Amino acid sequence: MAASVALRLNLPMTLTSPATFADGVREHQDEVYGVALRITGNRDAALDVASSTFLKAYRAFHRYDQTRPLRHWLLRIATNEAISYVRKRGRELRRIVAVDEATGVADVSAAPDAESVAREDRARVRAAVSQLPELYRVVIVLRYFNDLSVDEIAQVTGRPASTVGVQLLRGRALLRGALEGAR
Amino acid sequence: MRRDFRDDELFDEIRLRRALRLDAAELPPRFDLATVAVRAADRPASAFAGLLSTAFAGMATAALTGLVAVALPAIAPAVGSELFDAAIQTVTRAAVPLSAVLAAAQQPSIPLAATFALAVAVAYEYAQRRERLRATTS
Repeated sequence: MAASVALRLNLPMTLTSPATFADGVREHQDEVYGVALRITGNRDAALDVASSTFLKAYRAFHRYDQTRPLRHWLLRIATNEAISYVRKRGRELRRIVAVDEATGVADVSAAPDAESVAREDRARVRAAVSQLPELYRVVIVLRYFNDLSVDEIAQVTGRPASTVGVQLLRGRALLRGALEGAR
Repeated sequence: MRRDFRDDELFDEIRLRRALRLDAAELPPRFDLATVAVRAADRPASAFAGLLSTAFAGMATAALTGLVAVALPAIAPAVGSELFDAAIQTVTRAAVPLSAVLAAAQQPSIPLAATFALAVAVAYEYAQRRERLRATTS
């Protein structure tokens, strides 16, 4: 199956080794898209980031060290791509995200049932995460969306583990402050 | 206290995980591997275009730098002398009123020591009066 995928896509035969590119895409595409979505805060941007992540991964797959987890390698590319995207189109992106958030606010006149309260809380937390400085947003997303440990985040971001620990603490404190201020 | 802090932390973490999870409506469309392969195959054309535009930008920069290098010796003396004239005029305009102020500061008509002594005397007298006032009212 893997070999047929490799042949059909005209991939080099090295891709037919245990972790194939096709398997990687299939298995991790939601996670790659999710990390891009939570870092950029916008769906179109996340789709762009995820596409360019897979494109870069496809081109560099022969350099991928197969003794290391494919997931971390893909997340590293995705995180870097998302950061570059946000840096390049930051202002435009913030405007779009602000409009999305404004239009996504729940109707306050409706009776607040448990589900709508929970939805509103999720929206508030996501908005607060999207407002975090990029430095903290990345580690918060990798920790609480991708469920990575501090050491894994350090591997993915290339930052020292101690720095990641401090950035997580600071990021959580900033989030708490933002959420309490929004109440 | 410590336990409250831990509870807060746990609550934050659970809340964050719940909020960041992808909703069913947020799930992405399936990424098409064939499209990725086709885009990857486009690389030579785009790389060539990138190379071409970089070369063009480089040539334009070189031409501009050369033009500036040729023209600068010709216009630099004129621009330089005009700038120098303007700077001298500005300094002169500021120096005339400033020299009067400096002269007054150097030769005060009232000795500075006397002015300082008067200020100390006024402050002392004021403090004494306040002290007396406090003594009579308390």
